[in-house]
Amino acid sequence: MRIEGRSISPGKAKGEVVKLNEPLSFLGGVDGSTGDIRVGDGGNVAGKILVFPKGKGSTVGSFVMYDLMVHGKAPAAVINESAETIVATGAVISSIPMVDSIPSIDIFENGDVVTVDADAGTVEIEGVECRSVVSSAILMDGKVLMLKRPATCHSFPGKWSLVAGKIEPGETPTEAAKREILEETRIPVGGPDAVVRPFYVREGDVLWKVHGMLFRVSFADPKINEENEMFEWVSLEDVSGMDTVTDTMAVLEQLMK
Amino acid sequence: MRPSILSAMDLTREEEAILNGEEGEGRQKAMELVTALGKIYGAEDLIDITSAHLSGASYKTIGDGGLKYLEDMAAGGAKVTVPSTLNPVGMDRTRWREMHISEEFAEKQLRIIDLYGQMGIRTTCSCTPYVGPNVPSMGDHVAWAESSALSFVNSYIGARTNREGGPGALAAAILGKTANYGLHLDENRKPTVVIDADIDGSIFSYSLLGQAVGMAIGSGVPYFKGISPEVEEAKTLCAAMAASGSVALYHVEGVTPEAGNFDVSDLEVIHIGEKELQAAYDKLNTVDDIQLIALGCPHLTEKEMHQIASFLKGKKKVNKDVEIWFCTSAEIRDRCPEDVKIMEEFGPVLADTCMVVAPIEGTFQRTGTNSAKAGNYLPTLCSQKAMCRDIAKLMEVVL
Repeated sequence: MRIEGRSISPGKAKGEVVKLNEPLSFLGGVDGSTGDIRVGDGGNVAGKILVFPKGKGSTVGSFVMYDLMVHGKAPAAVINESAETIVATGAVISSIPMVDSIPSIDIFENGDVVTVDADAGTVEIEGVECRSVVSSAILMDGKVLMLKRPATCHSFPGKWSLVAGKIEPGETPTEAAKREILEETRIPVGGPDAVVRPFYVREGDVLWKVHGMLFRVSFADPKINEENEMFEWVSLEDVSGMDTVTDTMAVLEQLMK
Repeated sequence: MRPSILSAMDLTREEEAILNGEEGEGRQKAMELVTALGKIYGAEDLIDITSAHLSGASYKTIGDGGLKYLEDMAAGGAKVTVPSTLNPVGMDRTRWREMHISEEFAEKQLRIIDLYGQMGIRTTCSCTPYVGPNVPSMGDHVAWAESSALSFVNSYIGARTNREGGPGALAAAILGKTANYGLHLDENRKPTVVIDADIDGSIFSYSLLGQAVGMAIGSGVPYFKGISPEVEEAKTLCAAMAASGSVALYHVEGVTPEAGNFDVSDLEVIHIGEKELQAAYDKLNTVDDIQLIALGCPHLTEKEMHQIASFLKGKKKVNKDVEIWFCTSAEIRDRCPEDVKIMEEFGPVLADTCMVVAPIEGTFQRTGTNSAKAGNYLPTLCSQKAMCRDIAKLMEVVL
């Protein structure tokens, strides 16, 4: 599947992902002559698709990237959430393809094989399928409706979630949200009252593209179907204490902004 | 259509041709860099520049990666197309032995100077090119690196530049163009906060004022009331605010050329007085005994050379254990032979370099300066404990 970002430094590359979860200063963070990573879990950048949120630290970092290129130890490509001057400069002067503005580095896992087309600004993860889903928060008297998935569920078994489901072909996210709410809870809703920017959650070979929505109701009497085993109205503060699917807190936090 | 390299910015036919490599690889690379940075900061197009000032000149700061980059750029035939000057390097190009510099460092440093020269850059090696060979005019768009110098030309002269990095400024100098965003645009030059300053007006009080303002606001465009800086004071203030914060432009009521354009009556007012100056002083002073006194951050002007020489005239350096360096440009050193004669009794008058970009950490551990900028960078870039006082107080250590 193809993910759209923005081209920063031109070129194309394919390779294995090495991911750092913290902003990276090339000065001090990577050895310019060996490519060894000196922060996080270590590893080596040579020939890899180097993924990290953004650059930081000394402007000399640009020249460390050049040093890597001179020693044949440069990464095959760089992927950032947001480019800044130091890494962008280093990538351009060292002819390292670079893409930024991808939704989140959370969509990548170490060892993924990724194709970067930095001329077009796109990234493709091999063998990973993208599925679009809706995740709806139904809010009544300040409490949100939480559903518990049975242990036999194929996705996130036994966990609590918002009213979630796949978007069927030909359906808009809003249509999918309303259909799922009706199927799973028998609650008719208008709205939505708020929509969050779609974001991604990685689960093995599946990349979930999550469309979060908020529906306010003044009264509701949920009648759940076989997809869930129980429901509960929960205050927003208490949701964080529950064992929820990965996207729940992210959807709620963004909806409440 | 995807936002590709070509479509992200509104480029002229000529600029697109450069990006496509029609004018050679060197200019193509320069265009890739300028457009990449423009995209990151939301520029819609490029703008012609009248001059550039480049940083990334000391071998200590750019290392072998930077040296190789310059080798490759020069070998590729890169040439600047607008008047361009160079920041200080890691040593005086002739008197480096007096600075305890190794042969290897000197050889690489001289090579770096030579490479910049080959690309058509004037190797002034000074952080105050605006008092000499590179003086923009009001309203000029320029591409300057060196945080203190770019703040000076933005603020005191009214030219327009962003905080360029070394390679970005070089790319802009090669093209004669930079990305049009940030401080090139009117709306980003408006004051964001008023600083009501209560200082004694000495040069050192401007160092502390700049330090205090940087600590208070971090970034933004301060509008000063209650001060009347001349070139030396403005230079000191620029350097201090760019080191303790990231201020690249400020206005001074009744002094700087753009100050009259703005109504500041609705802005927040921050008072900087005795208490704030004391906090700034405490932050900058971490040691009581020193091995080196280094003056000239930013580089000493002619006026400062006269002031220092007349202060030192007739005095004797008693404490021989403490070295003194005076840092300025070769041009100013040549212009002040009488002052230099007096100052040399106390220590070398060095050109091309300063205490921050020279590898002093190989020789010294504790350094005194009158500059808030040096006071910020000596601990981080030179592993020094720092003393920051006015010149007379510093000199008490040796007199």
